[in-house]
Amino acid sequence: MINKLKLDKVLMKVEKPARYIGMEKNSYKKDLNKVNVKFAFSFPDVYEVGMSHLGLQIIYNLINSVESFACERVFAPWVDMEREMRKEGIPLYSLESKEEVKNFDFLGFTLQYEMSYTNILNILDLSHIPFNSKDRDESFPIIIAGGSCAYNPEPLANFFDLFVIGEGEEVILELLNLYDELKKGPYSKDSFLMEASKIEGVYVPKFYNVSYNEDGTINEMYPLVANLPKVINKRYVIDLDRMYTPDKLIVPYIDTVHDRIALELFRGCTRGCRFCQAGILYRPIREKSVENLVKISENLVNNTGYDSISLMSLSSCDYSQLLLLTKELMRKYEDKKIGLSLPSLRLDSFSIDILKEIEKVRKSGLTFAPEAGSQRLRDVINKGVTEDDLVNAVTYAFEEGWSRVKLYFMIGLPTETDEDIMGIKDLAYLVKDIFFNRPNEERKGNFKVTASASCFVPKPFTPFQWYGQDTIDEFLRKIYMVKNSIKDKKVVFNYHDADLSYIEAIFARGDRRLSDLLVNAWRKGCKFDGWSDLFRYDLWLEALEESNIDGSFYANRTRDINEVLPWDFINSGVSKEFLIREYKNAIDGKTTDDCRNGCRACGITDCSMRGAYN
Amino acid sequence: MIIRAKFTKRNYLKYLSHLDLMRLFQRSFSTIQMPIKYSEGFNPHPKFSIANPLSLGLESECEYMDIDITEHIDIDDFIKEINMVLPEDIQITKAICLEKGESISSVLSWAYYEIKVDLNQEESVESLEESISKWLKKEEVLITRLKKKGKNKVPTEINIVPLLGNITIKGLDENNYIVINALLRTGEGGNLKPVQLMEAMSRDLNLNLDLDSLLIKRIALYAEKDKNIYCPL
Ligand code: SF4
Repeated sequence: MINKLKLDKVLMKVEKPARYIGMEKNSYKKDLNKVNVKFAFSFPDVYEVGMSHLGLQIIYNLINSVESFACERVFAPWVDMEREMRKEGIPLYSLESKEEVKNFDFLGFTLQYEMSYTNILNILDLSHIPFNSKDRDESFPIIIAGGSCAYNPEPLANFFDLFVIGEGEEVILELLNLYDELKKGPYSKDSFLMEASKIEGVYVPKFYNVSYNEDGTINEMYPLVANLPKVINKRYVIDLDRMYTPDKLIVPYIDTVHDRIALELFRGCTRGCRFCQAGILYRPIREKSVENLVKISENLVNNTGYDSISLMSLSSCDYSQLLLLTKELMRKYEDKKIGLSLPSLRLDSFSIDILKEIEKVRKSGLTFAPEAGSQRLRDVINKGVTEDDLVNAVTYAFEEGWSRVKLYFMIGLPTETDEDIMGIKDLAYLVKDIFFNRPNEERKGNFKVTASASCFVPKPFTPFQWYGQDTIDEFLRKIYMVKNSIKDKKVVFNYHDADLSYIEAIFARGDRRLSDLLVNAWRKGCKFDGWSDLFRYDLWLEALEESNIDGSFYANRTRDINEVLPWDFINSGVSKEFLIREYKNAIDGKTTDDCRNGCRACGITDCSMRGAYN
Repeated sequence: MIIRAKFTKRNYLKYLSHLDLMRLFQRSFSTIQMPIKYSEGFNPHPKFSIANPLSLGLESECEYMDIDITEHIDIDDFIKEINMVLPEDIQITKAICLEKGESISSVLSWAYYEIKVDLNQEESVESLEESISKWLKKEEVLITRLKKKGKNKVPTEINIVPLLGNITIKGLDENNYIVINALLRTGEGGNLKPVQLMEAMSRDLNLNLDLDSLLIKRIALYAEKDKNIYCPL
C-alpha cells in the first residue's frame, strides 16, 4: 500500500481528486493478501474516459466474480497528478486497495485507440516497471493487452508479454486459471507464456520473429518455437444471451463521458461500411434477446440509481427487435423518470419513429453520419444512405421540433475528388434550406447545423487497409476548401487535427520497428496524444527523425495487394479475399448490400445470418 | 414537509466536490424511491440542499441537509434504507421530520474543527501551546481576502479575531502531526476557514508549518441563540 499521508498531500493539490480515490458504488474491495491472482486492469486514459468504457465494467466484474481472483483499476493520472506523484515519489497505484501496480500478478491494458500508446509507457514508468518484456524478470507483473487495437499488436510487440485477440471476456478466466494452476507448482514466467500460447486467441510476441525485404516491407513472420500456430484466431462469445453479464456497474462519483447505463443490444454489424474496422472485427452479428435485455436493465437500474439507459451497439437501430424493446423499456420506466437514448442513428424513417417514441421522455441533440459529401463517394465507402434519406430524416426531425443538427464526415477517402469534398458544404446548406423553407410559424428553436470532418485513417482488417492516407498538406487543402466556402453563421464547420490523424495512421498499420519511436516520443514528453490540446506534433516529428522512421512509409504509402501486412498472422474471421473483393468494388464504385439481405461470403464460418438467408 | 438529516463525509470521500455529493444523494434517493419534491420548470430537479458545504478535502462528522418531500415517511426506515445505498463513509447519522421552518443554513453560525498538521520542526507541544495562546489574546489578526467589488475581486484586509471561538491544542498524533481543535464562525454572520486560521498562525508565529500536510475534519456545526450555542438537530 502506498503512503496515505503523502497521497493526501498530493490529492489536495490536484484538479478533480475524486478521479484517484476509487470507493465508488459497486466497486470491489477484496483483501489482496487473501486472493490467488491479483489483476490490475488499465484503461490508458484519464478516469472519466476509462470509466465510460463498457468493456472495462464487464472484465472487472467477471474477474471479481471469482472469489480467489481480484481485479482492480488503474488509469492514467492527469498531467497535474502525474507531476505531484513524481514529486512526492508516489508510484502508480490501483484505485481499490491503493496497492502499487508493480505488486500485481498481471497488468492488463485495453487498447481502444492508437493515440493512447504513449500513456501505456507512462503508466509503466510511473509503476516503476521496465518497458521491454525482455527486461522484466519474474518479480514484475505479466503485462498483457486486449481490445480492438490488439488486432494489430505489432507496434507494441516489444512491450507486452502477451496479447488476447478478440473478445477478452472469452479468454481472461482461462488465462488466470492457468496462472493459478501453474503457480501451485514450480513456476516460471516462460512456462506460463508457453502454456498460454496454446490457448486459442493468445499471441505471445516474443515467440515470433519477423524478417524484412530490402524495400522495408515484411518478408515473413515465423514462430521461433516448434508447434506454435502460424495464425492466431480471434476469440469471441458465441451466444450473447449466455455470456457473463454483470448485474451491476461501478457508478463514478464524478461526471464521466458516459454517465448512464450502457445496455449492449448486440455485437457486430451487417452493413459493411468499408472504412469501419469494428464492423469487421465484431462479426458475426449476435443479438441479445429482448427478454434478457429487459432483465439486465432491471438489475442495472436497481443497482446503480442511474436515470438514463443508453441502447448501445455499433448501429443500434439495426437491432431486429428494437421497437419491441423500446416499448417494453418505456412502459417499465416511464413513471420512474428513467430516459432512453440511442447513440447511433441511421437516416431512415424507422429510426425517427423510434426516436419519437423515446423522446417522449427526454429530448437530445440530433446527429447523422453521411460520412461523405457525394453519393458517388458514399457508394465507394459503402455507406448506404442517400441524400433523400437525409432530407426525409431532417424534415421529419424539424417537424418534431428539433432545430440543431450535427453531420459527421470523413476527408481523405479513397478516390475522393474536390467535387466530393464540396458535397460536405452542399449537404450542410441543404439542411439549412430545409429548415428555413418551412413556413415561419412552424419553425421552432434556434437553428444551427454543424458539419464535422475527421481525417480518414485507414485501419487493418478493412477493405481500405492497403490504401495510403492523404498527406497532411492534402488534408489541409481540402479542409480549407470547405471552410472558406462556408459563409453563413448558422452553418458551422469543424475539423479534426490532420497531424494527429497522421501519427494515428502510422501506428494503426505499424510493425515491430515502431517501438523505438514510441519510447522516444514518450521520452520527449508525449502523452495523452488523443487530447488535441496536449498533442505535441513537434515532439513527434523530432522522435520520428531520431528514430530514423519514415512516417509516410506507414501512413501515406498505398500497399500492394500481395504485400505481407504486419497483422496478416491474425485471423479476424473475415477472409482476406473478401477484403480484396471489397476494395476492388470500392474503387469501381460498386456497393455491397447489407448481409441481412443475403450473405456476401465474408469468411465467417459460424454466422447465423448466413444460415438464415442462403 | 422537510426531512432534516445529519450525515458524515469521511476518509477519501472528502475529495468529492459539492456537485458530486449532490449527484450521489440524488441517485441514492431515486434508488430507494423516496417521495422527493421536484422543482417546477423545463428541467425539474429534486429539491434538497446541503448547508454550508465543505471545501474539497475536508472530512466531516456532521453535515446537514434539508430534503423536501411530498408525503410523510417513517424516519427510522428512511435512515436504514438510505444508509444501505450510501457508501460507508457517507452515512446519515440522525434525521427528523419538520413541518416547516427556517432553512438549516440560515441558523448555522459556528463550526468546530479538528485540524492536524505536520509541524516540520522540533518543537515541544508546551512551548507551542504557550505561543499560540499568547497569539490568541491579540485584539487584531489581519488576513487578506479577495472580496467582490462589482465585477472585480479586490484584496481586502479583515480582522479574524471576532471570528474565533475556543481554540485548543490537543497534542501530537501517531504521525507526529500536531492536533488542534478550533471553533470558527461560519455562515452569513462571518466565516473563517480553518486553512486561513492556520495560514495566519503559521505566518505570525514563524511556525514553518507544512500547510500541504493539513488534515481537517469538521466535528460539529452549531446554531446560536441569545449567546447560547446549540446543536440544531
Ligand atoms: S457470413 Fe455472410 S451474413 Fe455473416 S457477416 Fe459474413 S457476409 Fe454477413
